[in-house]
Amino acid sequence: MPELRKDPILNRWVIIAVERARRPKGLRQVFAAPEEGECPFCEGKESQTPPEIFSIRKENTAPNQPGWDTRVISSKTPFLRIEGDLNRRGQGIYDVMSGVGAHEIIVETPRHVANIADLEDIQIAKVVTCWIDRFVDLSQDERFKYVLIFKNYGWASGGGRIRHSRTQLIATPVTPKRVKEELAGARAYYDYHERCVFCDLIKQELRVKDRLVEETSDFIAVTAFASRFPFEIWILPKKHSCDFSSMSVESRLHFAHILKAVLNKLKTSLDDPPYNFVLHTSPFRRRKTRSGYWATIEEDYHWHLEIIPRLTSQAGFEWGTGFYICSISPEESAKYLKEARE
Amino acid sequence: MAELRRDPIVGRWVIIEDTPAKKPQDFHVEAHHYEDPTNCPFCYGNEHMTPPEIQAFRFDKTPANASGWQVRVVPNKFPALQIEGELDRRGVGIFDMSNGIGAHEVIIETPYHSKDICDLEVAEIEKILEMYALRSRDLQKDERFKYIMIFKNYGTAAGATLDHNHSQLIALPMIPKNVAEELHGAKEYFAFRERCIFCDMIRQEIDEKERILEESRSFISFCPFVSRFPFETWIIPRQHRPNFRDITADEIKELAPMLKNVLGRMKVALNDPPYNFIIHTSPVDGSCKAEYHWHIEIMPRLSRIAGFEWGTGFYIVPTPPELAIRYLKEAKI
Repeated sequence: MPELRKDPILNRWVIIAVERARRPKGLRQVFAAPEEGECPFCEGKESQTPPEIFSIRKENTAPNQPGWDTRVISSKTPFLRIEGDLNRRGQGIYDVMSGVGAHEIIVETPRHVANIADLEDIQIAKVVTCWIDRFVDLSQDERFKYVLIFKNYGWASGGGRIRHSRTQLIATPVTPKRVKEELAGARAYYDYHERCVFCDLIKQELRVKDRLVEETSDFIAVTAFASRFPFEIWILPKKHSCDFSSMSVESRLHFAHILKAVLNKLKTSLDDPPYNFVLHTSPFRRRKTRSGYWATIEEDYHWHLEIIPRLTSQAGFEWGTGFYICSISPEESAKYLKEARE
Repeated sequence: MAELRRDPIVGRWVIIEDTPAKKPQDFHVEAHHYEDPTNCPFCYGNEHMTPPEIQAFRFDKTPANASGWQVRVVPNKFPALQIEGELDRRGVGIFDMSNGIGAHEVIIETPYHSKDICDLEVAEIEKILEMYALRSRDLQKDERFKYIMIFKNYGTAAGATLDHNHSQLIALPMIPKNVAEELHGAKEYFAFRERCIFCDMIRQEIDEKERILEESRSFISFCPFVSRFPFETWIIPRQHRPNFRDITADEIKELAPMLKNVLGRMKVALNDPPYNFIIHTSPVDGSCKAEYHWHIEIMPRLSRIAGFEWGTGFYIVPTPPELAIRYLKEAKI
C-alpha cells in the first residue's frame, strides 16, 4: 500500500510508492548529454572568464593568474544582472520588475575534476570559505534579500556542458517563494512548541536511526522522512544556527568531511548519478526594526543542505499537485547508502 | 535586461530572459521514438495485459476487454494511490502520515501505437475529451475524493513510462498543495475585487493581443504573461466556467481542434518535444464556483530544472512568451 507522508515544515505531502520500487540502479534514467566543450575553469585559462571577484590563492600570486585554490567569478550568462534599479511596476493585473541580482560561479578546484566528492576535505573547506565570503559581502547590498548557493552536477540536473566542479550563487531582490514557505513553516512550529522544528527532527532521527546515513561530532546526514525524490539527503548541523555563514573554520572542515562522505556514498550506490544540492540558510537579517518580519528567525530556523539525486523526471502529476511520488522509501535508501563504500 | 514577472494567483516570480532569448533550435530536444508495439499493453489484441477496463468507447457490439475500442480507461497497474480502504491518518513523532487512498486511472487515447493527440482526427480527440469528462463525473460521486486531476506525460523526459499515448486521471483524498495555493490566490483576488482573476487575465490578453495563438467563440489559447516554462501555452474557456466536468458537447467540439492546433504547432516548432499538460479545475465538492475558472496548461519540457529552481521556486524562462507565440504562429501545420 502506498504511504503518504507530510513534511512537517512545508506541509507538503509526498507519496512513498514502494510497490513501484525498483533497485537503485534501475531507477536511473540516462539522458544523452552533449559533447563536453573546452574548459575555461582550469588553471591557466583565467583570461577566458570574467575577472575574479574573490579567490583563495598561494602567496605572491596575482588575481586572474594561476596559483589559486578556489576562485569566484561572475557568470558569463547571468540570469540576473548586478547593475541597475529594481524599477518595480504594474502591468494590468501583473507585477513586474527588472532582473537585478548577482550570479556568481565558485570554481572549486584548479584541476579538471567534475565531482566535488573527489576533492580533499581541506579543498572543500576552502570552497565553503568562498561561499561564506561572498554571502557576507553581498549582504551589504541593500537591493538583495536572499542568496541561494547551489550546485548542478551532471547534465540531467541542469549542469552545463563543461564538467569542471563548481557551485553557483544567486542573490535575489525578493525572498523566493520556496524559502518563504520554509521560513513560515519553521516559525509556525516554533510559535506553537517554542522549539526549533529542525532540532526536534535531528533528535528524532538520532533516536530512530532508520534514516541516519552519517553522523559526525557536529553534523548529521539523513534521508528525509518526507522525501520528494529517491535518495534525497539532508545534512544538518547538530548545534542550532540559522545562518551558515557563522560556521567556524573548524566546523567548515567537519562539514566538508560529511559532505564528501555522503556524496561518495551516493556515487557508489547509484553509479555516479547527476544531483543538485541547495544550501538552505536564513535571508539577510538587517531589518530588525520592522515588526513581525521574521522576528524569531534566529530561534526558529536552522540552516542545512539538501541533496537531490536526479534519477527520475518530474511528470504532470507532480507539476499539477505539488505532490511528489517517491519510488523508494527513505529507510530503504538509507540502508543502501549505509552499506555503500565511500 | 531580464524581467521579473509575478504570477498574480500564487505570487510566484519568474525570470523572463531576453538577452539573448532562446530560439526553438537552441533547445536540446531528444528525438522521440516509439518502441516496437508487439508487447505494448495498450495496443489492440493486448487488452489482457492491463487490469480489466473501467470504461471504453467501442465500435458496435465489441465486448469489454477485447479489441474494437476507440478510447479505453483502465486502472493504473502501478498506482501511486489505491482505491480500496478507509483513510487512516496518524503521527510518528513530529511527522504526519496517511495511507494512500485514491484512484489512478489510465486513459488510452487511441488504438494507434504511434499517434499523439495532434496526429488524430478532430472527432477522435473529441472522444478523448468526452471520456475525461465522463470519468470526472463518475468519480465525483465517491465522497472520499476531494480533487480530480487529469494530466498527460508525453516523452520520457516528461515522465512517460510507456510510449503508446495515454493520459492519466488521479482522484485524491485531499486538495493538493499546488491546487490549494492556486485556489487560495483566486479567492483572495475575488474577495478584493469581486471578479474572477482568470476572467481578468483573459480580458487583458485579448486587449494586449501580444500572446494569443487562437481565439474561437468559446476558448482562447495563449502563452501566459507569467510563463514558468518556455513555450508554455494555456487553453481557457472565454466564459466563466469553474469545473471541467461540466463541459458541454458544443464546447468539446471547439476544444478538440484547438488542442490539436496547439500541440501540432509545438510539435513542428520545437521538433516533437516532450510535454505535460494538466487540466486545472475546481474541487469535487463544487466550491470556488465564482472564483475559479478551469483551464488546460500545456508545458513543453525544454529546459532542465536545476538547483536554482528547486531552491527558490523561481522559474527561468529563456524565451519570453511574446516571442514564443511568434514561433508557434509561424509553425506550418
